[in-house]
Amino acid sequence: MDKVMSNKKMIALYVLPALLLILAIVYIPIVLTAYYGLNEWNGIGRMKFVGLDNYAELLGDRTFWNSAWHSLLLAVFSCASLLVYLAIAMVLAARIKGANLFRKIYLIPMLLSSVAIAQLWLRIYHPSNGIVNSVLESLGFANPPAWLSEPKLVLFALFVPILWQYAGFYILIYYAALKNIPSSLEEAAKIDGANSWQIAWKIKLPLAMEVIKVTIVLAAVGSLKYFDLIYVMTDGGPNGSSEVMASYMYHTAFRAYDFGYGSAIGFFLLVICLVVTWIIRKLTATKDTIQYS
Amino acid sequence: MFGKKWGVLLLTLCVALFAAGCGQKDEGSNASSSAGGDKAGEKVTIKFMHLWPEGVSAGQNKIVNQIINDYQKEHPNVTIKQEVLDNEQYKNKLKVLSASNELPDVGVTWAAGFLKPYVEGNLFAPVDDLLSGELKDKFVAGTTEAYAIDGKTYALPLEFNIAPIYYNKAIFKKYNLEVPQTYEQFKAVSKTLSDNGVAPIALGNKDRWTGSLWYMYLADRIAGQKALADAIAGSGSFKDPGLVQAAKEVQSLVDSNAFIKGFNGLSNEEGKSEFLNGKAAMYLMGTWELPNYTTNEEIPKEFRDNVGFFKFPTVEGGKGNIDSWVGGPGVGLFVSQNSEVKEEAKAFVEYFVTKWGEQSVTGAGVIPATKVDTSSLDLPQLYIDLFNEMNKASSITLFADVQMPANAAETHLNNIQALFGKAVSPEQFSEEHDKAIAKGN
Amino acid sequence: MTSEALLPPARQMSPKSKTGKKIGYGVLYIVLTAVAALQLLPLVWLFFFSLKNNQEVFNLPPLSLPTHFRWENYEKVWSAGNISVYFLNSVWITIAASALTIMLGSLATFAMTRMKWKGSSLVLGLFMVAMMIPVHSTLIPLFSMFNKAGLNDNPLSLILSYVAFNMPITIMIMLGFYYALPREVEEAGVMDGCSVNRLFFRIVLPMTSSVIATTGIINMIYNWNEFIFVNTFISSDSYKTLTVGVQNFIGQYTTDWGSIGATLMISILPILVMFLFLSDRIVEGIAAGSVKG
Repeated sequence: MDKVMSNKKMIALYVLPALLLILAIVYIPIVLTAYYGLNEWNGIGRMKFVGLDNYAELLGDRTFWNSAWHSLLLAVFSCASLLVYLAIAMVLAARIKGANLFRKIYLIPMLLSSVAIAQLWLRIYHPSNGIVNSVLESLGFANPPAWLSEPKLVLFALFVPILWQYAGFYILIYYAALKNIPSSLEEAAKIDGANSWQIAWKIKLPLAMEVIKVTIVLAAVGSLKYFDLIYVMTDGGPNGSSEVMASYMYHTAFRAYDFGYGSAIGFFLLVICLVVTWIIRKLTATKDTIQYS
Repeated sequence: MFGKKWGVLLLTLCVALFAAGCGQKDEGSNASSSAGGDKAGEKVTIKFMHLWPEGVSAGQNKIVNQIINDYQKEHPNVTIKQEVLDNEQYKNKLKVLSASNELPDVGVTWAAGFLKPYVEGNLFAPVDDLLSGELKDKFVAGTTEAYAIDGKTYALPLEFNIAPIYYNKAIFKKYNLEVPQTYEQFKAVSKTLSDNGVAPIALGNKDRWTGSLWYMYLADRIAGQKALADAIAGSGSFKDPGLVQAAKEVQSLVDSNAFIKGFNGLSNEEGKSEFLNGKAAMYLMGTWELPNYTTNEEIPKEFRDNVGFFKFPTVEGGKGNIDSWVGGPGVGLFVSQNSEVKEEAKAFVEYFVTKWGEQSVTGAGVIPATKVDTSSLDLPQLYIDLFNEMNKASSITLFADVQMPANAAETHLNNIQALFGKAVSPEQFSEEHDKAIAKGN
Repeated sequence: MTSEALLPPARQMSPKSKTGKKIGYGVLYIVLTAVAALQLLPLVWLFFFSLKNNQEVFNLPPLSLPTHFRWENYEKVWSAGNISVYFLNSVWITIAASALTIMLGSLATFAMTRMKWKGSSLVLGLFMVAMMIPVHSTLIPLFSMFNKAGLNDNPLSLILSYVAFNMPITIMIMLGFYYALPREVEEAGVMDGCSVNRLFFRIVLPMTSSVIATTGIINMIYNWNEFIFVNTFISSDSYKTLTVGVQNFIGQYTTDWGSIGATLMISILPILVMFLFLSDRIVEGIAAGSVKG
């Protein structure tokens, strides 16, 4: 057994294609980004090596820390909403009628490109004829807020479509994980007289644990580098109150032509992702992994 | 050791497989693209990147294709290869291309601040020789200067715009309002409108440059053109009392509910729609909007017939004069310094600018930077009136975000949004500007 | 772990709890259907949106019908040339990149989770970190790399980027599923004298059909909607994909929203059909492959 499963040649053959590809296509840009971050460069002329100046500036940059805070908030909300997605997936996976159809319908927003989603939500939030304010007005609220131009509200107004957009994604993953559990296990439990709540809680959840852990990391990292809807819907505004790390990076590098500083932001974002991932792994670590048996 | 070899082999195999698949396609497209010119002269291909897609900028796109076809017919050895991107993607791609020194032979650029890093990076070729040739004296005075750095011109402008305040005559009539000549009258008009539940001014300040127009005009009218120009150039200061006053006026307009609800969260397009649907009475915007009020069939005729314009009113005791405008050339064409077909590219640009000047007003409603003989053209009255205003203009101040270098422009735009959103005080606003201008990038 | 150990003895169900259960199910279905309706709305909205002109897009409430159905938006989109070329490119690039990602990702995940070698966790870490870089940081380095490799304006640059950038998330999702596979699978296989290849392709791969379908769908959605790489690496019209079709309607000063809606509607249809009707067949196909193999 061990001999077959630790055959070096086979391991290399299996791992290297994927590994070499990401080393070439993803890691070279990562290393270069870190390097650009050490330079003063507008992306056009010559680079001027400035050592850690950009990173030092970044540490004292309030705009950056504000954007990092916004990204972190999004990450927290995304991780929290995983509970809701998991609950829905568990209901769907409990062999109720039409589960497959529901699961598919739930994924539909995910199929739409961000351009479409952003346009939809811009209409929903429109200060005078948007759905939200029309409903509020008909309920008797005299002067509902303009959601996307109130610095205090805008970030949370943006979280709603972002969380909604990804619902289908996580439900899809959870559903697959729960369905992957051999039905023989469930049958056995039923014969033993377990009710569906117990089956869900004691059997399904532990077996899906590995997948759940992974999704926490995915949600956190995905949120920390989130860009799409925010860019289209508010462009980080008003007054930077919905700026996140990735949009700040984009604005600095591509709008203000400060590619050196922008790269430093990009690299720092990666470092923050690493730290957060490490924390999550520590928090969710279990001694041994559970397998089907 | 062994394993690595295998892995590399597999990867190469995958890559080769797909490369083979693509290679086949490559040949096909090459054959079709070079089929055009087969007569005398060495065959050259000029790459041309622009931002007028067929779908929405139909007028411009048609003119571009017309010009390219004519040019290729006259020069059978030349093939022009177009690449079309939208505004935002165009700017991004230009940046990526320039970082690798791979700019197209001919492309679209903006003036002043946008152009500067490309010129300093030695990526754009000077085109002064074209200005002394066939195109001599063809341009409207002051337009090519916006593309000049240290005495050399690096692009030829295609557009020329000024920004009037458009207004809805029907709404003005309904409330017995007169076109305001002074800022006091203007404020009275706004008040009457908002008292009657009509939003006075349509503004989409998510895009930020839209709000900048208002600040620019107030600065010009109160502090005068020179104070503003000096402050932007760095020889003056935004702490000039007149400029601070202008920032204060912006906030007092906001306080008096002069702008539509939620303007800081609305794009220019969303803001504009409030004017187009008759919910807002006034709209300050460039002359590129003219087709919407004259020829655009999508907009109801009774609305178009009801749009007029007035000049930004003067402020009592201010230094500005009513014939001073905010505006300037829009996009221009550059030739890449490292182009292998630089001379051919320049010849094409010269041809393009000339032909564009002849066709753009009638074909696309775009006012070119080259002189137009309005008497020979059958134009809507609004165009003729604005052409006359342009000729009368005492000065034209270039849009601030175009004028400033990229980094300072970003600071300016962010502060504009903050000023309108009352997140900064007029004093802080001036302070931030001076700091950004002093940084010099 | 056995099921007996976990579960309490059987209980008799009372008639009262049966009716309670029925009501519970009723409520559950109402909730599920309401959520489904919410998720379906964007599609309906997009359809209406695609039949409006700019005036109606901005002035009418989002879910209202246009005064006049502007099918000409679709005509315009179709006749604006090249859309069929874009379409074909989208199809083959999406399929090629997704298939390659799944294949290489499965191989690597299998080797990292089921085979025994030093450094597997390090390699896994490399894949994870690769997920954390913001896309805009990579554009300039990637462009210059592809440029030097002569892959500029070549669809291969797209496929390589798609595979590399989707590889980490694909592997992450697969990870949880592979960890949960019972050890006995390999043990039995190796006992029977299977080679690693046989074990992987004939036994393990079919057992992971649900995660293959899941990651396959996710990859396809991502690749289908991607436009930043297309715009940056591709300049010839003959290699561009459907997402750039939207650009045809974004002008210098105006945007034709109705036509953008029509383009988005056309581009979502294939992926919708694929997802609603074909995904189950694919899962079945993979699973059936195992039985035959």
